[in-house]
Amino acid sequence: MARQSYQEQLTELREDVLYMSEVVMERLRMGLDALEQKDVELAEEVIEGDGEVNRMYLDLEQDCIDLLALQQPVASDLRFIAASFKIITDLERIGDLATNLGEYTIDAERDLFPDVDVQEMGTLTLQMIEDAMIAYDTEDVDFCYELADRDDDLDHFAERASEIVVRDLIERELESPDEVEYLLQDVSRLLLTIRDLERVGDHAVNIAARTLYMVENDDELIY
Amino acid sequence: MTPDGGTSGAVSESQRRDTRPAKSAVDRPSSGPATRGDDPVIESRNLDVFYGDDQALHGINMKIPERQVTALIGPSGCGKSTFLRSINRMNDLIDIARVEGELLFRGKNVYDDDVDPVALRRKIGMIFQKPNPFPKSIFDNVAYGLKVQGMTDDLEEQVHTALERAALIDEVEGRLDESGLELSGGQQQRLCIARAIATDPEVILMDEPASALDPVATSKIEDLIEDLAEEYTVVIVTHNMQQAARISDKTAVFLTGGELVEFGETNQIFENPDHDRVEDYITGKFG
Repeated sequence: MARQSYQEQLTELREDVLYMSEVVMERLRMGLDALEQKDVELAEEVIEGDGEVNRMYLDLEQDCIDLLALQQPVASDLRFIAASFKIITDLERIGDLATNLGEYTIDAERDLFPDVDVQEMGTLTLQMIEDAMIAYDTEDVDFCYELADRDDDLDHFAERASEIVVRDLIERELESPDEVEYLLQDVSRLLLTIRDLERVGDHAVNIAARTLYMVENDDELIY
Repeated sequence: MTPDGGTSGAVSESQRRDTRPAKSAVDRPSSGPATRGDDPVIESRNLDVFYGDDQALHGINMKIPERQVTALIGPSGCGKSTFLRSINRMNDLIDIARVEGELLFRGKNVYDDDVDPVALRRKIGMIFQKPNPFPKSIFDNVAYGLKVQGMTDDLEEQVHTALERAALIDEVEGRLDESGLELSGGQQQRLCIARAIATDPEVILMDEPASALDPVATSKIEDLIEDLAEEYTVVIVTHNMQQAARISDKTAVFLTGGELVEFGETNQIFENPDHDRVEDYITGKFG
């Protein structure tokens, strides 16, 4: 086969992107655990670990730039590198959102709203990232479409959860205005947690969308 | 897209406005007025070319649109240069070459008995891999074709205009009486382009015009090709796929065996080719 080293570099890029996704998923898992267990030490570990994700992102970005500049890829190779270039940005953003969970853990003071299952939402998003990366690795187009549908469920979940939080806040204000002031920061933090997890789902869909483009030159799922 | 391709280019109609004066009907081998932009200026229909018993091209069907750059790419021996040379009957110069099928220039088969190959080559000029200026002055190199054709009115102005169109005038102004052979390789190639366009052809064929040049000279030739396509139809054979990607509107991929496998918009060919063999060739997995 011609251009053997080039083909090896493409394989390496795929493996490195998959490895980065594993690290990012682990960070998100740790963030969720920290939140659930109010484990400040674990939360600090997630926050400190963001630097490693950022370095991975920069290294992979450079790898993509080098491949574009030095190998002038075309056709499916070009789409693979272009898609990977975008996917690592999504992974890096998921890493940032995992870091947010760590920060919310450190700042949080009490449990609120047992009706809102943040952990279930977190599990859904983790599964979405994992499936998106399987689709990327195996070039599974059906998986990409299925993931986009699943994001609607996550959005509804987030919407319902936010409604519960806001409704409860209003009711509390009606009952005891002083308590609302006291709870406001925690409520804001919970709403941000819901929003961040919903965004993780969006990033998983982005990964699926770029994968669909990579495999079939189809931009249907992009935006 | 099928090898017949579409005739609508990546570049819009408005970007390819007709700025040349209309030709007289006598100049054209075809009958009726020529349309710009829509109809193919060159069309091959089931074109076969043989060298003795060897078939170099198999049933090529292609429509080359006007005032666009069409690149012909493919591995060595795939027949792309043979196809290029069949457009202005340069293959006539090879004794054992034989052509079947049709090669239409503005609707007229260039292989019809009543077509004069010399007149045809005035309408369809050619630039070769290695610059081949005459051992004459820069001025005489460009004026040569004009003099042969008796187009000597305002000769100096015509030479100046051709050198200007070939993006060479700034580098040779004031020394047109110096030998063309004293110019650099890139300048010599642009001098040859000036010579080719001085007689105002409609089509310019280029057979790897930058392969013997350094990157700076190559870049100038590539810029020039893009400019030329505003006035002329350019067909270029290149081994440099990135060059094809950079400068052409349409790309034709010939593969081993003298077969045209895919012809389409250049961005489509390089981003998402229809054929696996083309994909393998352009990504370097083939060969």
